[in-house]
Amino acid sequence: MLELNHIYKWVKAGGRRIFLLNDLSLKVESGEFISIMGPSGSGKSTLLNVIGMLDDFNEGEYYFLEEPVHTIKEKQRANLYKENIGFVFQAYHLIDELTVYENIETPLLYKNVKSSERKALVADILDRFNIVGKKDLFPAQLSGGQQQLVGIARALITKPKLILADEPTGNLNSKQGEEIMELFKELNEEGVTIIQATHSENNAEYGSRIIHLLDGSMVREKSETI
Amino acid sequence: MIKNYFKIAWRSILKNTGIFSLNIAGLAIGIASCLLITLFVVDELSYDRFNENADEIVRVVFKAKVNGEEMKEAVVMAPVAEALKSEFPEVVDATRLTNHYNPEFSFKNTSYRDSRFAYVDPNFFEIFTLPVVKGNINDPLKEPNSIVITEQEAKKYFGDEDPIGKILILEDENQQFKVTAVIEEVPKNSHFHFDIFASTEGYLPAQNSSWMNSEFYTYLLLKEGTSSENIEAKLPSIVEKYMGPQMKGEMGMTFSEFKKNNEIGLFLQPLTDIHLKSDFIASTQLEQGGDIKYIYIFSAVALFMLLIACINFTNLATAAASKRAKEVGIRKVLGSSKNQLIYQFLAESFIATTLAMLIAIVLFSLALPVFNDLAEKELPLNYLLQPNILLMLVCLIIIIGFLAGGYPAFFLSSFKPIAALKNKFSSSGESKNIRSGLVVFQFVISAGLILATLIVNQQMEYIQNKNLGYEKDQMLVLRETYLLGNKQNAFKNKIIRDPRVEHVTQSAFVPAGPSDNSMSGVFLQQEFKRRMFVYNVDEQYLPTMGMDLVAGRNFSKEYGSDSTNVIINERAAEILDFKEDPLGKSFIRDTHDGGQKLTVIGVVKDFHFKSLHQNIDPLIMLNNPYGGIIVRAKTANMSDLIKDLNATWISFNVNEPFSYSILDDSYNQTYRTEQKMGSILSIFAFLTIFVACLGLFGLVTYTAEQRFKEIGIRKVLGSSIPQIVALLSKDFLKLVLISFLIAFPICFYLMNKWLQEFAYRIEVGWQVFVMAALITFVIAFLTIAYKSIKAATANPVDSLRTE
Repeated sequence: MLELNHIYKWVKAGGRRIFLLNDLSLKVESGEFISIMGPSGSGKSTLLNVIGMLDDFNEGEYYFLEEPVHTIKEKQRANLYKENIGFVFQAYHLIDELTVYENIETPLLYKNVKSSERKALVADILDRFNIVGKKDLFPAQLSGGQQQLVGIARALITKPKLILADEPTGNLNSKQGEEIMELFKELNEEGVTIIQATHSENNAEYGSRIIHLLDGSMVREKSETI
Repeated sequence: MIKNYFKIAWRSILKNTGIFSLNIAGLAIGIASCLLITLFVVDELSYDRFNENADEIVRVVFKAKVNGEEMKEAVVMAPVAEALKSEFPEVVDATRLTNHYNPEFSFKNTSYRDSRFAYVDPNFFEIFTLPVVKGNINDPLKEPNSIVITEQEAKKYFGDEDPIGKILILEDENQQFKVTAVIEEVPKNSHFHFDIFASTEGYLPAQNSSWMNSEFYTYLLLKEGTSSENIEAKLPSIVEKYMGPQMKGEMGMTFSEFKKNNEIGLFLQPLTDIHLKSDFIASTQLEQGGDIKYIYIFSAVALFMLLIACINFTNLATAAASKRAKEVGIRKVLGSSKNQLIYQFLAESFIATTLAMLIAIVLFSLALPVFNDLAEKELPLNYLLQPNILLMLVCLIIIIGFLAGGYPAFFLSSFKPIAALKNKFSSSGESKNIRSGLVVFQFVISAGLILATLIVNQQMEYIQNKNLGYEKDQMLVLRETYLLGNKQNAFKNKIIRDPRVEHVTQSAFVPAGPSDNSMSGVFLQQEFKRRMFVYNVDEQYLPTMGMDLVAGRNFSKEYGSDSTNVIINERAAEILDFKEDPLGKSFIRDTHDGGQKLTVIGVVKDFHFKSLHQNIDPLIMLNNPYGGIIVRAKTANMSDLIKDLNATWISFNVNEPFSYSILDDSYNQTYRTEQKMGSILSIFAFLTIFVACLGLFGLVTYTAEQRFKEIGIRKVLGSSIPQIVALLSKDFLKLVLISFLIAFPICFYLMNKWLQEFAYRIEVGWQVFVMAALITFVIAFLTIAYKSIKAATANPVDSLRTE
């Protein structure tokens, strides 16, 4: 699915380089469920952003579905990402001015999906997530768990091959968190590749593989034996 | 997708009602002001355009410089029209008009003295587009004593009767005129407005062959595509050819002798320039026109208003960017391209602009009557409904939409998604600089306009309080009392006995407002010196007008008739070289029957008998009273006196209504254009600073929001409220100060140019600058302080808890 080779990313502070990612290599196969763990500032989010093409890196190679992300143009990259990747955030990042329905619909608008098709797709996903009754509410009227549900629905609406989740349960209570993780597990079983960053050992256990990061480097890797 | 853009735009507008209202209010005021001024300018520029041949019509005007006296007259000599028509094949036709003001006309038992009357050549209505609605369409003025009148005039004299063939009597000359045609009202935007046009057929002055006497407004219709410069270039030889032979007899010298030290010539003025570009002697102007300078000034003000409003919009939108940053980030993560975001922000801008435009149109409708009052116009509301104006409005929405929404659109859409999501976006240095630059620009305009307003007002005040050399307060001018005929003296004596009256004089000459006008050539030892103004007065004139003698004596009955004696002003004494001891010296005044020898018995202190735009000209006073009377009252309560005078007038059994003018008012009338400009300018100066402050208010609001946490931390650390206020205000006030540095020199330069138009003017002192700076600064500070004090007094715990 994707392959990172010797990725470096740094910022300069006071003339010295501070490495956010330091010689990081990672290969992810289609259908995997990967958990990235590590203390704050270890580079979890940075890694996710790099994989999600939201952020650049300074050195190294990145292949996504055989495409060399490090060389292709901005526009192609945007397309590649738009077609294949969905994002789920810790802080949900719903658009406050839009209703649940409109929030979920937005990625389809940017993909120029026809109106009738949009309606069908959004209706499906609302149904599947059991939030049909909430479709006309605004984010501020929902609980955190519900908001994150909408966030995931929105990430899934374009049928991405890869979901990147940055501490998706960080703002939720344990019960809500568990529900979300069950949902991810379900999605993974349907064939969606998932990479999540998390602090929680419990949540990490849902993954088929756990990667530990420290200071931008991988320190150990634990694969679940299947 | 488009529907979606508008939906989002509308929602985000609803969410930020406060700032949005500021934005819309500013923009609406800007657009409304711009509309008003545009309308005014369009109207001013439309003068005489209604004539189908407007571009082919020119007016022949006269300019000369004789012994240092500059003469610019809009009238020329009677034979000029015929001469130019025969000399130049390019001149298709020529027509003349001569102004006879408001004589009394009567029909049966009704008579009026308010019909504006002119003699015109029979072909007048072929050159000017004044359509005949009734009567002889083709050649209404062919016959002598035929007149063409306007519809309103026909109604006034004849009611519903058919006016054609009716006879009007010109009372003063007991002459009968037959109405041959009725025309529509002369359009408002014409440089002349007459109600009755009589034929010059059989009118003797029109047959006058003299090239030494100007009284005809002369218009030429040129062949299409003719350059008037080519004709103008040949005019000097024409003048020499026709005027030359007559000069010897009139001036006592040949044309070439005359030309050695003097200039004289005819020039062509395009019809469409008459209203805005005429600087002829006021008495030779048909009507007081506009001034192209004010058109420029007002256009600039309109543009500035619009710019300031757009800048507000842009500034507030970019400042709001931090609030929208998260949304932009999410949208980018969700796959929005940069263009799609640009469209979205432009859509918001367009909604706002359209809304502002609608509000502006409402504001415009409300303000139009007030503006009309101020500008002395009658601009109709439905002016807006013209297709080209509507088109302009739509273009305006598009331009402003792009101008105001463009920068924020491109700026916001270029955010890096991750930075935006984490709200790491802080107003970057660059955008802050641009915003600062725009604020400076706004305040340059505001401060500049305030300074300009102050200077204009100061000059107006100077004009008000200037020592004119005569008294203008408590003076009553009764120009019509000559109508009493031989009863005038009785009337005068009755007035003198009134205890509220200090002085009464008989004269038709008034230093301000309507006055008789007379000039004579003055010769000294056979040598032509200069044309001088002649005042025909009585011995009460100087005391009544409060004029001072610097030497000699006033006219006086004790010295007989004083009919060959003269009082001259200081300027005349200077020109005649009578500086040392003018008394007893004599000179010759040119009259119709040769010359008249006059001996100087007094020198009157120079007084301003022309507007302060001009220097004081030489003037001589003769003891030869005629015309109406001028009353100087002891009391400031003029209305009672006027009421009683009116009663006296009625008791004299005249058929004329009593009419009067107050000299102070007439004086102020002279500076109406300037006063008009002054008041319009102050209103727009106020509006610009108001709109600029709206913007400033919005910016401070954002800054306070952005620094909410910082303010909290500082307060916890022990910062006082004034320190916080200073922290928030400092940067903005600095910008206002910078704007002074730019605005004041530019404004000073321009206002000095304006002041140059006055021969008598104020010196621009440093006080005005301080004043303008203070006004602007205080207004700006109050705006900023209001918001920053609110931010500074907020409980610090609230601000820290939000994180």
